[in-house]
Amino acid sequence: MHVYLQQWATFARQWHIYDCTWQNPFESARLVKTHLMGLHKPIYHPMNDCGDHVVLINTKEIALPGDEWVKRVYFHHTGYPGGASWTLAWQLHDKDPTMVMKKAVYNSMTGNLQRRHTMQRLHLFADDNVPEEILANVTNQIRTPRVVPQRLDHIDKETLENFPTIMDYPKDYVLR
Amino acid sequence: MATLLKAATTTLRSTFWQARSITTTPALLIKEIHEKTENNARVYEGVNVVSSRSEKMLKPACDSTFCPECTLGLDIKHTDVLILSQYVRSDGCMLPRRITRLCHRQQKKMGTLVTMAQKAGLMPNLAPAWSKKDPKKRFGWRKYNKYFLESTIRY
Repeated sequence: MHVYLQQWATFARQWHIYDCTWQNPFESARLVKTHLMGLHKPIYHPMNDCGDHVVLINTKEIALPGDEWVKRVYFHHTGYPGGASWTLAWQLHDKDPTMVMKKAVYNSMTGNLQRRHTMQRLHLFADDNVPEEILANVTNQIRTPRVVPQRLDHIDKETLENFPTIMDYPKDYVLR
Repeated sequence: MATLLKAATTTLRSTFWQARSITTTPALLIKEIHEKTENNARVYEGVNVVSSRSEKMLKPACDSTFCPECTLGLDIKHTDVLILSQYVRSDGCMLPRRITRLCHRQQKKMGTLVTMAQKAGLMPNLAPAWSKKDPKKRFGWRKYNKYFLESTIRY
């Protein structure tokens, strides 16, 4: 028995947006890769070209745990003798604020002939200035795994005053 | 022997170590140091103030045996700046155990969490006067966003 099903959007390319503010690029890369390759779709098959577009914004605001900015090293070799170079993550981020994120997504995928084509569907932006023609396509926002922390000086005055305290000064304290 | 010794030293004690029951300045009041200039003289004045926290205190926190983890069951992270800022001075310095009244383990843990929040640039307004305040203006790799894992705290 045949059942008629509408599947207009099944084979269409979706556009997702992902805000990288205070996100770990390597946690995010696993999420972004899933959407880029179409792994989240029931029709997924390696030979089935069903990947989506992903727009990454605010890549200069990514966060790394602990001192990983100075511990993570990117290696490059020109091919000539003495052509090896080691760049720390923060130095690479200084040069190009999208590069750490781009490399994280690229390295999260297995190296095959499809990888370069999948990367063409990734659109990286250092800040939130995204061209209108790209933003017009976006239909979905990918949920971020990490909560963006709030700075104490950005919390509004009302919350600061009404927040309950769990420590009072002793009676002979000199305020400083 | 002990009674003999005590009897022998009683007169000594009463003559040399007189217990003072009167204080010249009222202790037991929170003070704020005010600085002002009057007729080319700088005057430092200790003004008695009422603690701004006394009305907002949580009821269980008023007990003598209080612990944020055991009593309230709080799992404090380094991003909970509203709680952590209560344990620091205005220059970002951690308050001692004598004032925070935490147990040794909690004091160490809270100190580590405060350091984490400061390194992540979440409490830039609680810093020494000479500091740059804005975490984006820090030197080298320190100007970029970083977070910390609470599982790395040893206490």
